[in-house]
Amino acid sequence: MRKIISFILGSIFALNLMISTAFSAANEVRIAFFLEWATPNQEAKVKKTFDKAFGVPVKWTNFATGGEMTEAMLSGDIDISYSQGLTPFVNAVNAKAPIKLVDVAVLYGMGGTTCVVANSSGITKANASELEGKKVAVPLGTMADYVFRETMKAVGANADAMQVIDMNPEDGSAAIVNGDVAMACLFGGASIEKALEVGKRVLTVDEAKAAGIAGIDVVSVTNKFLKENPGMVSTFIEVTHEANAAHRAGKSNMSIIAKDAGMSLDATKGQMSGFEFPDANTIKSKYMNDGGILMKYLDVMGNMFATAENPALKDYSKVVTTDYLPGL
Amino acid sequence: MIISSLTFLIIFAVIGAILYGQKLIKTEKSDAVFGNPERSKGGIHWVIVGSSFLLFLWLYYSWDIAKAFYPKSANEICQVAKVRESMLSLKYLFPIDERQHKSTAIIHRENENIQNYIKEISSNPNLNQVDKEVYINILEKIKLSIPYLTNEKYLEFETKITIDKLTERINNLTNVFPTDNFPPPLSLDFEKELNEGLSKQLGWGATGMEIPPLPETKLGLKYHIAADQLRLISDEFFQIRNHNPQYKTLTNDIKSDIKNHRDKLNDNQELEITLLKEINKLNKRIQFASIFPPTTLVEFEQAVRNFDAVQKKEQGSIATKDALLFPGGTIVSSGPTCAEDGPGRWLPKPSDTFRIFADMLKPSVGFKFVPMFWYEMMGVNKIVGFILPDWIADIIPGKYPIHSSDGQVKPNFKSKVLDIVTGNFEAFKIPVPVGHIWDSFLRVFLGLVFGIILGVPLGIFMGLNRFAKGFFDPLVELYRPVPPLAWAPLVITVFGIDNVGKIFLLFMVSLSIMIISARAGASGTQLSKIHAAHSLGASRWQILREVIFPNSLPEILTGIRVAVGMCWGTLVAAEFLAGTTGIGFVENVARKYMQYEVIWITIFVMGMLGLLFDITIRKIIDKTIPWRGKG
Repeated sequence: MRKIISFILGSIFALNLMISTAFSAANEVRIAFFLEWATPNQEAKVKKTFDKAFGVPVKWTNFATGGEMTEAMLSGDIDISYSQGLTPFVNAVNAKAPIKLVDVAVLYGMGGTTCVVANSSGITKANASELEGKKVAVPLGTMADYVFRETMKAVGANADAMQVIDMNPEDGSAAIVNGDVAMACLFGGASIEKALEVGKRVLTVDEAKAAGIAGIDVVSVTNKFLKENPGMVSTFIEVTHEANAAHRAGKSNMSIIAKDAGMSLDATKGQMSGFEFPDANTIKSKYMNDGGILMKYLDVMGNMFATAENPALKDYSKVVTTDYLPGL
Repeated sequence: MIISSLTFLIIFAVIGAILYGQKLIKTEKSDAVFGNPERSKGGIHWVIVGSSFLLFLWLYYSWDIAKAFYPKSANEICQVAKVRESMLSLKYLFPIDERQHKSTAIIHRENENIQNYIKEISSNPNLNQVDKEVYINILEKIKLSIPYLTNEKYLEFETKITIDKLTERINNLTNVFPTDNFPPPLSLDFEKELNEGLSKQLGWGATGMEIPPLPETKLGLKYHIAADQLRLISDEFFQIRNHNPQYKTLTNDIKSDIKNHRDKLNDNQELEITLLKEINKLNKRIQFASIFPPTTLVEFEQAVRNFDAVQKKEQGSIATKDALLFPGGTIVSSGPTCAEDGPGRWLPKPSDTFRIFADMLKPSVGFKFVPMFWYEMMGVNKIVGFILPDWIADIIPGKYPIHSSDGQVKPNFKSKVLDIVTGNFEAFKIPVPVGHIWDSFLRVFLGLVFGIILGVPLGIFMGLNRFAKGFFDPLVELYRPVPPLAWAPLVITVFGIDNVGKIFLLFMVSLSIMIISARAGASGTQLSKIHAAHSLGASRWQILREVIFPNSLPEILTGIRVAVGMCWGTLVAAEFLAGTTGIGFVENVARKYMQYEVIWITIFVMGMLGLLFDITIRKIIDKTIPWRGKG
């Protein structure tokens, strides 16, 4: 009997120790990124510019969705998430995850995230309300989810009345090709291309722009890393903005970026032509300032994805900081 | 209230059951030696201990016990966490939680980096000799600049004064912190704001409120105010730059060296430009790293340590609660909010979980507009329309009616049949089950039934017939070892997103298991039994039905039990793929919105349903083959 009790107490003790030793000192920086999402700083990544700028090695890990990035940040395995979608970020801070938004990574029109409606359904934006009651494929909790709801609002259809099927972009494009769904909302170059073979965009890129629908990807950092290594966060943002500036000047080495992103050179160029990498001044004056574009997005999305258990924050400026952006 | 009584109940149950177990051992006859199966019989009291222990672990690690007994503790720990957060940057400079001074580590690292650069540059064949010398010269200068930061004699008086002032502020805080004079009287505005916030503040774990952030107790207020002050001190400290004139001259010199050399380069000398950029970054890193002479910060460090010690001491009961009732983690502060970190985050409290589960079970709530498990009134016509194929109407001779010139459509026999086979008629309604749980259950059930219907006869056939064995063996053996999920990517493309694909996936799982077990059962029938039946004049059909089938039943039923488990495992993944309903769908969506309670509910529901299936099959086994294991 005593043996059993001591075994139980011992295992509780061991479990406590195991759970609490999660963090380690910053002798490497662990960064999350996406494949098939070409960004200029991937050149710096390949050339080890980041490693040299930090003075310590960088460990890059690729993820499939922004939600998984949050999970890894919460478990203490990732310090910086580059190009996390704003939607998963909002879901994370609504759930009170201790992470902060420090920079805008990518602005993209609806070239990279869009809703495609099947030609066979005979639906266009003029009669989009006919989608109600039909099946639509949406990767829930991603930027495409946001685009779906905003697009339906723009064309005057009730998104709640549709039969939403939770599908990743690859599956969603397969489903629309098969004719299983009337519409698929997707992100990623390959999936959209495949879906466009049998359908067309509900809103064209320009129409979406006119309706004020845009995608924003951000840079998020765990609160602990931000407090302990503020210099490294600044360095990361600085090197990224240098790479962005080089890209704006047309000096990026596209073949390196394409190879690192895992796409063909043409696809990379096509994807990046729809991306915008704003400079620090624009971000400070137009996006992350009080009442700026990003702050409005945060408010709208925060309320859109709020649940009873994870309600929207009253003030999203508390999870955003511009302190680490390069000076004016 | 419920949770605290439950906790006591668990403790009593465990103690009671253990005592009962002790008593039982004493009264038991002792002739059952080790290895006698008698010794494993009975033991309901140990079931009580086991499940109580599980429940207790859940209550304890989800911090529900802390919430039940000390509902204010989270709020207090949150205030302490604010102090911890405000000191995080300062503490990280000194070997308090780390092994080294941060500046020591940086100097060590950067010296190494400089050495590496020098080595790299001197051995790089693509650089010309003149450039090499320039770069190495710059790097040597950077190396020389470090002593300007670390030597006491270059330290500016003003910097020292600023540090001393900050040290004193921390010391003052340390002295006054334990006394009743802290916090000093609050300003009216602040107090009004605080009271207003407090009156609106919900309790720990209330819907939408994870940890109430505003201080609710007097001790908490102390920490809240101290955190504010420390934050200011920390910010001011990190604005101090140890840039004395000598250092400034040298860095400006280095900067102009870099700039001059950069201007000389062409834009296509990429290697040189990158190198210069990197060297520039290295210099900047050292410049802004808060490096001070080794003895300058001794008093400041002591002040930080002292305050840390005092605030730890002052925590008193908070620290005990934190250590005992918040196992595996604690509450962390991040800006204005506090959050549970550790098991408290991903292991939801039983009270919350059951509350949300009860809420989700309400048919009007459900999950994503679909109830968990409910019924719907459905006309019998729809069922008839679903079962009868529509082509029955097409094969009836004649034509469908055409509208007449007066705009009427007169139904004829053919169209009436069509109405019946498509379910287009009035009929009474019967309740049919709907919902996520039902859908998942139905998928598993159908996959299993199809697997049995096809797998058992085929398996028996293969066990008895040379042709069947030879013909189907390669087919079965090739697809059987493939994990069912490997088929998943194909399923959407081939079968679409509806139930067909998911049921097919489950059918694939159960089919191979059923074939293998039926075949093993059939070929394992004792020859003497078959001979006996033969000599008694049984026909082939009779032998099959009366001898071989009953003999393979134990194998088949065991196969079904295995298949059920496999099917549940596959189902969740299948519902991850393309879901509108089902338990797997619920779990996948909950994950995206970080609803950990819902995730645990789905895990719990799946466990329960799996258990239900298993118990049912065990009962069937006991009923149909009572002879199993008895000879």
